[in-house]
Amino acid sequence: MASSDIAVVATAQTPSVREANPSEVQLLVPTIAAAIEKAGIERREIGFTCAGSCDYLTGGPFAFVSNLEAAGAWPPISESHVEADGAWALYEAWMRLHEDDIDVALAFGSGKSSPSNPAEVWAQQLDPYYLAPLGLDPVSLAGIQAQALLASGKATERDFAEVVAASRRNAKSNPNAQLSGDFDVDALLAEPYFRQPLRKHDCPPISDGAVAVVLARGERARSIAAAAGRRPAWIRGMDHRVEPHQPGMRDLTSSASTSLAARKAGYDGGPLDVAELCSTFSPQELVLRSALGLGEEVSVNPSGGPLAGNPIMAVGLVRIAEAAERVMDGSAGRALAHATAGPLLQQNLVCLMEGE
Amino acid sequence: MSAPPKEHLVMEHLVTLTYREKLTENLNRFADNLLEARIVGHKCPSCGRVYVPPKGYCPLCVVATGNNDEVELPDRGTLTGFTIITPVAYYGQQQTEPFVWASVLLDGADTPLTGQNITGVPHSELRMGLRVKARWKPREQRSVEGMTNRGWGGFGDVVESFEATGEPDAGEEVYKEHIF
Amino acid sequence: MSEPRVTVTKLEFPYSRTLGPVLGAFIGGLREGKLLGIRARDGRVLAPPVEYDPETGESLGSEMVALGPEGTVVAWTWVGQPTAKHPLGRPFSFALVKPDGADTAMVGPVDAGSPDSMSTGMRVRARFNPEPKGLVTDLTWEPAR
Repeated sequence: MASSDIAVVATAQTPSVREANPSEVQLLVPTIAAAIEKAGIERREIGFTCAGSCDYLTGGPFAFVSNLEAAGAWPPISESHVEADGAWALYEAWMRLHEDDIDVALAFGSGKSSPSNPAEVWAQQLDPYYLAPLGLDPVSLAGIQAQALLASGKATERDFAEVVAASRRNAKSNPNAQLSGDFDVDALLAEPYFRQPLRKHDCPPISDGAVAVVLARGERARSIAAAAGRRPAWIRGMDHRVEPHQPGMRDLTSSASTSLAARKAGYDGGPLDVAELCSTFSPQELVLRSALGLGEEVSVNPSGGPLAGNPIMAVGLVRIAEAAERVMDGSAGRALAHATAGPLLQQNLVCLMEGE
Repeated sequence: MSAPPKEHLVMEHLVTLTYREKLTENLNRFADNLLEARIVGHKCPSCGRVYVPPKGYCPLCVVATGNNDEVELPDRGTLTGFTIITPVAYYGQQQTEPFVWASVLLDGADTPLTGQNITGVPHSELRMGLRVKARWKPREQRSVEGMTNRGWGGFGDVVESFEATGEPDAGEEVYKEHIF
Repeated sequence: MSEPRVTVTKLEFPYSRTLGPVLGAFIGGLREGKLLGIRARDGRVLAPPVEYDPETGESLGSEMVALGPEGTVVAWTWVGQPTAKHPLGRPFSFALVKPDGADTAMVGPVDAGSPDSMSTGMRVRARFNPEPKGLVTDLTWEPAR
């Protein structure tokens, strides 16, 4: 899709926490309100709303219907939902804006992982015949991928620890991060294995959180940003691709779908200031860096990334929000955000944004 | 290779997922009050609508509601809608006899309590507008274990049923906006 | 106000899944101590056998290919503290195993006893549940002698 006059103009998110006491809807009410207020628009100006969430996180069927109450669905609004990360909700909102009949859209993502056991829940997204009955949890899968990466010679355990140290260090300047601090790489390597060759810190924390993003088109995007003393984060392209489901039928040490999605989103490998990647496990950052061909000069996960806070169903949209904020405040000229779904980077979304 | 025997063609797989979620502050307080046979909802500071159970926000105004917005309601109200469910056997089914599933709008509330049992009236005489009052369980039998943040099981196990009071039926204007 | 109450909810989904000729052949094969794969359009042999080509989406029919009984570990991890959802009650390895005769690897448990007994490229042998339950868990791998 060619249209390039759609931009992120405002974002808001909750801090990632181990357990939020408010309900998911109660997390969304102030988050959506904050994004709308930052955009300086009236709620009724939003022409389309799309939400991303997963009912299995809290075990309440139709939880996503309640979530809509946080968007203010009366009088009736035009809305959609994806049982997926909010990044895919943004994708749908972006697509909708291409119709050129509305100027503003809202996308949000939310999830409380605290009430459930991720090991139990996420095994259920797998092939129900060959994988789910094994109780194959995401950390075990990530362990297999990590070991494949080591065996391929593409990375070392030290590389994993360096990703973690950088994530925690970057997260120090992120008020929404759950885990942050200065960690010595050798001290990290001295920790025992959790799921060999992964250590506990190579895995993301369990987090509750929500995020909302306002998109606007053309002149409306310019006026909204100008009123806030910022510039729009123009979406130059957004694309997502998926690979076969069976882990043994793909190369786990590379991410062909990420490379393809990036290319289709218009990333030609040129200069890039910021890349916010959904590297849920530390080895995945190395796979993604390679898939995107990122040089050392790119600031990767300045927010800390998912290793510093992993509100599943919001975490991908948070990457887009973090990248967009850095474009909007002028500190980045060109930024890329990545979101992922499915086991071991099976499906990948890339969003490329630029300042003017 | 011949086709596998029929008995191999079905895979039995029981998936179990366990959830442990802390009740929100508003529902925890609601539960505290129910155990004392008190029904306390939230009144929206913007539009004045009263929600029971309280969600902690008004979905129409999209504003948060909190402890300062609490309002106590009487334990009597009007039947706004109902159905008689004939139980069908399925995994987890506990009902065996036809039972009532009714919505009760407490006096002063803007949202009805759903899934309530109505007693004191034969099923064939159930009607919208019927005036009912809570028949509370003895204090030591009251339980709020079934309450969830989703708002289901919102009345816990504190009330045996709502029973007909014998008052004249409420007029249509009371229930017509709150059937469901 | 009292401490926040914790609501415990248990969701149960009792699935009875029909398997069809391909998955049924595989699961049925485990019952007979057989490991089966299927040929993809490009001639590669896929394990586990799937109904549709992962690259082209075409139906692969139901003619199965005999595999194993041994295989090679392609990648592995160690589960030091198995949960009730895992296939083994003692520490084990989750591994990608490429059965002999197959061009792809499949995820399965390796009953190796200790992570020191695991290595990339090691040989393993299929072990079939003597009391099959008609699930993929009827298959376990163990270090080949």
